[in-house]
Amino acid sequence: MTILLVGVNHKTAPVEIRERLAFNDEACANGLRQLVDGDVVREGLIVSTCNRVEILGATAKDQLEFGAGRITHFLDTSGHLPPGFLETHLYRHTDEEAVRHVFRVASSLDSMVVGEPQILGQVRHAYAIGVETGTVGKVLNRLVHHTFRVAKRVRSETGIASSAVSISYMAVELGKKIFGALKGCTVMLIGAGEMAELSARHLVNAGAKRVIIANRTEATARHMAAEFGATTVPLDQMDRHLAEADVVICSTGAPDYVVTAERTRKALERRRNRPTCFIDISVPRNIEPFVSKIPNVFLFDIDDLESVISSNIREREREAERAELIVQSEVMQFQQKLRLMDIGPSIGALRQNMQTIAREELIRQRKRLGPLTEEQEAAIESLLMSTVNKISHPILNQMRRFYETSEPEAVELPKDPFGLEE
Amino acid sequence: MRSLLLAAVAAYLIAAIHSILAFVNKRRSLQRVAEWSTAAGFILHTGSLAADWVIDGHYPLFSLREALSFLAWALVALYCLVIYRYRTQAVGAFTMPLISVLTLVALLIGTSPNAPATFSTTWLFPIHTTLLIFAYAAFAIAFMASVMYLLQERELKLKTFGAIFHRLPPLTTVNELATSAAALGLLLLTLGMVSGVIWSSMRFGRFWRNDPKEIFALLTWLLYFVLIIYRLTAHWRGRSAAWLGVVGFALVLLTFFGARFLGGYHVFG
Repeated sequence: MTILLVGVNHKTAPVEIRERLAFNDEACANGLRQLVDGDVVREGLIVSTCNRVEILGATAKDQLEFGAGRITHFLDTSGHLPPGFLETHLYRHTDEEAVRHVFRVASSLDSMVVGEPQILGQVRHAYAIGVETGTVGKVLNRLVHHTFRVAKRVRSETGIASSAVSISYMAVELGKKIFGALKGCTVMLIGAGEMAELSARHLVNAGAKRVIIANRTEATARHMAAEFGATTVPLDQMDRHLAEADVVICSTGAPDYVVTAERTRKALERRRNRPTCFIDISVPRNIEPFVSKIPNVFLFDIDDLESVISSNIREREREAERAELIVQSEVMQFQQKLRLMDIGPSIGALRQNMQTIAREELIRQRKRLGPLTEEQEAAIESLLMSTVNKISHPILNQMRRFYETSEPEAVELPKDPFGLEE
Repeated sequence: MRSLLLAAVAAYLIAAIHSILAFVNKRRSLQRVAEWSTAAGFILHTGSLAADWVIDGHYPLFSLREALSFLAWALVALYCLVIYRYRTQAVGAFTMPLISVLTLVALLIGTSPNAPATFSTTWLFPIHTTLLIFAYAAFAIAFMASVMYLLQERELKLKTFGAIFHRLPPLTTVNELATSAAALGLLLLTLGMVSGVIWSSMRFGRFWRNDPKEIFALLTWLLYFVLIIYRLTAHWRGRSAAWLGVVGFALVLLTFFGARFLGGYHVFG
């Protein structure tokens, strides 16, 4: 059996094509039933996310071409696209390449944002549908389980997902860097913009205890406050609460500085010099740049955040290189496992070996038999072969039984006495 | 007991290598190896000190070799405390190499002359030296935490996060660690100096000799006293306090090693 993968992703196809190919859960199950016929495509799995649609199949080795064609045709029809239309967008991987691709996808090495955490859940979901539909067999089962293992390894052994690569998440990273666990931290939003809200939400999820919202229009602030149990304060009372805030996210539309160095210094005095992290995501800036010169105050404006993010992306890329090495070694391990699982070559080799023994014996004894007619020759040949087949039959049957009960290692056992190696 | 100490050095070296690797690669499994071998090294080291005490017949803290070995032992003890209390594994990458070097040097110095009976007979003298060794170890931890603080504070202010930045513990954690280590060091230093004064006046009838070591110790005490007072009352946090922690440690080193070259009757401890 060979693994085969056909699909499109964000690098090979624009969204117009990806959205036409995308499968929802139901379409996924139906599609699998239609695609997996037990003959050419023996097993199948569809991974469909906003960035990729990939079909994973298992076919017999000699039917690879045919299988790939079938899957392509299946994609064409399900996306209502003319045949050949997808040709430039599709990628096809077989065997080792397909395994590597699956490992890379699940480890988030092939994602738009390297290291993003959703993809593994999406692969898990696709697998669940495949199992439910009954189109995941021995081969894909092994592959998917191995894939989960690889993704886990990559996540725990590299820092591929350890640093923030979005502005809203930067607040959490900076907060953690300064305050450690964010438990008990107070977050203050000055201005109730969308980005500020998203940042606050991340901070609350990471453990921040309290959120204070100061906004020009109180109705907006209240509306937002209701969502995550925040308190609202009028903008002109900001000073009183500035001293309580550990992380301040500023995003008003004001044309000049809302938080001045003077205000900050006073607040800092009241909070007894405990460090404060100011994040200014407004343009024009709302926090006086001089604030960053005050000891124990850390100020980040939008450009600082962007530059940290790009350095984080570089860090992720460095980590991704290490992840590729892990993937590489796991692909090799998996291929070895898969070879063990494939019973065809083992059976062929064993039968071949026995037949050779019989033929060699015949050649050795042939002289003693004297001249024989063609018919007699044929009879001797068939006598030998049927004897060999009858003797080997129970052994081969046993091997198949081992194989069916998923004991690939046991398949190798009967080969040993004959000294057969790969 | 050289063989025990040799085994302890080996364990510390393994711990140091794994701590550094864990620090660089951010791998928890390596950190676990580091912690286990640190624990093993500590047990072996304790065994070696106890054996020295029994065999040599005096408290194993008198000569340079003994002082270095004991200092390393105190550092390991405090390091375990830090790991337990703050979970700042990164400290290991800095402490364990130092500990390995200290024990290795102690091992290489070999045998040392026996302490005069004067020192081994009173019970106060070992208390004096032990307290001071632990004080030095605490100041070393405070120094490391201060350096970590300064490195990170700099990067946060400059907004350029290097490889080190992602691997160091959070700013408030190292700040807290530096403060409590300095406070512990100051407490031990105070007790150590007091016990020294009492011992000296009991033994020789003099409590102050203007010995270089005594003067440096007093300066050190003053510096850390100022540091702690500032931290507690004036809420003097962050950079300046961290710098004081660094400068203070220079003074500690002078007290520990420097005073020896300036003469005086203090040897070590």
